[in-house]
Amino acid sequence: MAAVLLWRCRCWALLSRPAGRLWARRGLATEPEMHFGFQTVTEEERREKIYQVFESVAKKYDIMNDSMTLGIHRVWKDILMHKMNPSPGTLLLDVAGGTGDIAFRFINYVHSVQERQLQRKLKHHQNLSWQEIFESYQKDKFNSLGDSQVVVCDINREMLKVGKQKAQHLGYSEGLSWVLGNAEELPFDNDKFDVYTIAFGIRNVTRIDLALQEAYRVLKPGGRFLCLEFSHVSNPLLSRLYDLYSFQVIPVLGEVIAGDWKSYQYLVESIRRFPPQEELKAMIEDAGFFKVDYENLNFGIVAIHSGFKL
Amino acid sequence: VRCQHYPPLRALQASAALRRASDEHKKEPLTSSSQQHFDPPPAGHQPEQEPQGPRPSYTGQGGQESEDYESEEQLQHRILTAALEFVPEHGWTAEAIAEGAKTLGLSVAAAGMFHSDGSELILHFLSECNAKLSELLEKEQKLVQLGEAEKKPIDEFLRHAVEARLRMLIPYIEKWPQALSVLLLPRNIPSSLNLLTSMIDDIWHYAGDQSTDFNWYTRRAVLTGIYNTTELVMMQDSSPDFEDTWRFLENRVADAMTMSNTASQVQSTGEAVVQGLMGAAVTVSSAETSRAVR
Repeated sequence: MAAVLLWRCRCWALLSRPAGRLWARRGLATEPEMHFGFQTVTEEERREKIYQVFESVAKKYDIMNDSMTLGIHRVWKDILMHKMNPSPGTLLLDVAGGTGDIAFRFINYVHSVQERQLQRKLKHHQNLSWQEIFESYQKDKFNSLGDSQVVVCDINREMLKVGKQKAQHLGYSEGLSWVLGNAEELPFDNDKFDVYTIAFGIRNVTRIDLALQEAYRVLKPGGRFLCLEFSHVSNPLLSRLYDLYSFQVIPVLGEVIAGDWKSYQYLVESIRRFPPQEELKAMIEDAGFFKVDYENLNFGIVAIHSGFKL
Repeated sequence: VRCQHYPPLRALQASAALRRASDEHKKEPLTSSSQQHFDPPPAGHQPEQEPQGPRPSYTGQGGQESEDYESEEQLQHRILTAALEFVPEHGWTAEAIAEGAKTLGLSVAAAGMFHSDGSELILHFLSECNAKLSELLEKEQKLVQLGEAEKKPIDEFLRHAVEARLRMLIPYIEKWPQALSVLLLPRNIPSSLNLLTSMIDDIWHYAGDQSTDFNWYTRRAVLTGIYNTTELVMMQDSSPDFEDTWRFLENRVADAMTMSNTASQVQSTGEAVVQGLMGAAVTVSSAETSRAVR
């Protein structure tokens, strides 16, 4: 246990220093070392391995989510949406949004808010003629989303493909776009988006600080950064149970349902390697965000971090 | 320019840039008294207002930078002030705050900084109203001191102060019942009670109350009662310019004055009665003694 912790601290220290200085200090001709689950790999290798992981799990991603978390991941994503409380006209960038869970929830939420607003408006205008009522329905039919838009960005082509198919299947067409991009180097201009979300994706980013800087860059002033991610459980009893479940049950489920033990082994290991709540909060503050805060869900199994570009 | 590698100058860069760009539309910064009421500045935020360590030399124009320094609380105040304009349309909700943020050039997501039920907006409005009332009473007191105006008798002063304060609600009167219900949420009760008591205290202070005995409490309790009931009457008053409300207020203040007179009358009557009884008792006992002696 201590060895693992030591390893982790070392890897974390390596992660937070720029590559050049590390090289000079160690006097070695190797690339910086990173963690891939509990293994140590180079940056390039890590990116490749993660790409392969998601390429292989893409088709069974949603089913696996449901079986691993017993469906609770839907509640987590709903809570995230509630916390965001988007108003019509919001531009959302969902990074590592792969199969589109957050994007679809966003569209539903904005749609219902828009409908409620419309109803309220109609209630106010009690003495409209039929002609005026008809016209107001026409006008709002064309922007049933109220100009809200969501851009789903993912580095993995397979995940995007699955997401597009799901959108077609569920009937989502308006206000949705799919972009292939790397979170560390987003293909968007500065000051574009109102909200930036990354749900269960930042763990897989190789350079988290770069991703946070990019998030800061593409957000409008006043924009909000939201991160939903597995985090650390502080309660010792719960932590033991959680570890037991993670390491004994999840890879088995992975093998049985998706035929892929190793990817799910990577998943649970990467959760353990990810920085805990306070560390991530400090990293977000370093990127320039204000009013950074986090909310633990399920005693810390999952945490939502939020920050504003002010 | 990214400042992340230095101990960060925690000026709000994005909003500072916006303010510089839209200086002509800038609203006036609020008085600092409004901050004390419900925004306990957390100790951890203090470092944000000063640079940590020596200032890097690239901010050579140090004077200009420090002018644009704005803490998070100040930005929040600006957003809430801008949001008040949208309250008659959207109510005391996160939507109004989002619209307010939009007018300042910020994204609508900035409304996420506040609670979704609009409590902060209402509390902000209340503290603004209280500040305006204090200013008004202060000005009038100065006029009286300079001899340019007559000193009002107590009941008229109270009436005038409560009316002035309630008139500030008129632009938002339709949505005010919603605000009152939000203020009654357990979470908001400490702050709203605080604001209410400080306002009543202010009014009595300018009315010239210098009592140091139990009167201090009774006076404030009575005025709080008058204020709250008048506010409720105002909610469902549909007379032109709220005449019914002001008449109600006049009657309540008169009642209060009578009551205090009555109270002192009752007290003196009570004393008189007690003295009479004592005298009767003494007479009876001395009659008994003299009979016994005989």
